[in-house]
Amino acid sequence: MNAAALELVALPVRALRRGMVWWSIGLASMIALTMAFWPAFKGSRVIQQGLDMVPPALVQAFGLQDFLSPEGYLRGNLYAILVPLLLVLAAVSATSSQTAGEEAAGRLELYLAQPVDRRWLFLGRGIAVVVAVSVISMAVLVAQVVSDSIVDVHVDIGRLASTVVLSGLLALLHAAIGFAIAGFRARPSLVLATGTVIAIAGYLIAALFPLSDVLAPWRHLSPWDWALGGDPLLHAAEPWRYAALIIPAAGLAVLGVGAFGRRDVAAA
Amino acid sequence: MTSRVQPETGGDTVVRVEHLVKRYGTVEAVRGIDFEVLRGEVFGFLGPNGAGKSTTIRCLMGLLRPTAGRVTAFGLDTWTHGVAARRRIAYLPGELRLPDRLTTLELVATVGRLRGTFDPRRRDGLADRLQLDVRRPLRDLSSGNRRKVALLLAFLADADLLVLDEPTNGLDPLIQHEFLALVREARAAGTTVFLSSHVLSEVQRAADRVAVLQVGRVIAVGTVAELRGRARQRIEAWFDASPPAAELLALTGVVDATVDGRRFAATLVGPIQPLVDLLARHPVASMLVEDPDLDDAFMDLYAAHSVDAGTGAARERP
Repeated sequence: MNAAALELVALPVRALRRGMVWWSIGLASMIALTMAFWPAFKGSRVIQQGLDMVPPALVQAFGLQDFLSPEGYLRGNLYAILVPLLLVLAAVSATSSQTAGEEAAGRLELYLAQPVDRRWLFLGRGIAVVVAVSVISMAVLVAQVVSDSIVDVHVDIGRLASTVVLSGLLALLHAAIGFAIAGFRARPSLVLATGTVIAIAGYLIAALFPLSDVLAPWRHLSPWDWALGGDPLLHAAEPWRYAALIIPAAGLAVLGVGAFGRRDVAAA
Repeated sequence: MTSRVQPETGGDTVVRVEHLVKRYGTVEAVRGIDFEVLRGEVFGFLGPNGAGKSTTIRCLMGLLRPTAGRVTAFGLDTWTHGVAARRRIAYLPGELRLPDRLTTLELVATVGRLRGTFDPRRRDGLADRLQLDVRRPLRDLSSGNRRKVALLLAFLADADLLVLDEPTNGLDPLIQHEFLALVREARAAGTTVFLSSHVLSEVQRAADRVAVLQVGRVIAVGTVAELRGRARQRIEAWFDASPPAAELLALTGVVDATVDGRRFAATLVGPIQPLVDLLARHPVASMLVEDPDLDDAFMDLYAAHSVDAGTGAARERP
């Protein structure tokens, strides 16, 4: 990779630096705070009695099964919804700002007027989002491991890492949807809205469809099911789950880069 | 858009615009224009806002894909071989949007890495001439100072072609003067300059040739002198005897003529030579010819081309 190609990645990474720090601090704080309540929840009969009154299907839908085990507590409070959804929001907003947002603001023109291939410039922005999600996911993992050790929770680190990686890949898949849209149109709000709405719809499909016998088989349409449907905190995730997130994300990235290379660059 | 194409080195044409059309949906911003920019010249690109200047320039920079026709720079199609073409082009955009968090120093280094090189001594020299503090974040700079940053980037690139879109917007007169000096120096060093502006005095002082755009069409191309030659001139002549009124009034291009005693006054449209020839055959005591400027030529050109409101097509006035 030459200096110009590196610069095309370094530029958006520098722009995302502050966001990466704040998202990392936010997620790490949320994890630390959640884990601080573990000693109070551990073995609580009152909570167990409460959960026993909830229909099993609903318990399953909201990831509350085995809630008083360490893995169940992590799943129910953090990794069933909150951490993956926040990672999705971080990834989609970073994509929106660094692609369609920068283009609509006219800030790509100065760089595109240099002797650089515009497809490389756009791809560089996608790589920067991958870097940002990796950094934030790493912060999540470190915060979880440190918090676990402080409150004496024993969760398999390999399974924890697998859960965080799958959550990060889920975020990148939604970022890739936004990236592909930005390849066609310089509309930051459209990128942000589409990525977020698809993420929420995907969660609802994965969580609620199993409640209906008719809809249950369709839950496999949701990327949330591909990523977290196997309960990776308890069971080693199958390799296809990674592939099911990475391959479409890569395909969408190629689509976005190709589209951006063929169209007019928006004027400020 | 790979960069493996060798730029053309021979020939006197640096930029060639051929039958260029650019449509945005149903709006036709550029309506089939042709012109050439020659090696080593300062080429003025004139027209009011909305005439299609920036659209043409953005096609030249490979930012827009022509709907029809093509633009070449150094013999390279700027859409299909944009990277190779832009290696020899430096560009100052009309709508200037800079990354706010960077300082000028950081931005210059970034652009330098994208272009492959830059000369720090030349950067400092240009910053001094433009009176620019390169250590301040760009978000703290006024619009005039941001324009100076863009000028610095354009002149630092050591390119064979400078494309400057409204380069002096927001600059104070002192820096405008420095800008014109930089343009002259670049031209003397063999750089071709494509200068888009609606500031006529600036183009008049800097340009060798000019193209005038109106609603997406080129309505005139020529040297500044040729365009000035088309402008209306106020003429007055005092004769030693009675003026040859009939001959004077019959001259092509003489309008609003009055003969008052020994004085003849008129407005001349077009070349002055026939009038000079006629006057040479008669005893003229003194005469006054107002020097036309590009402003007048420009206004005359626009007045001569009425615009069809329905189609936006420019029509020559009969």
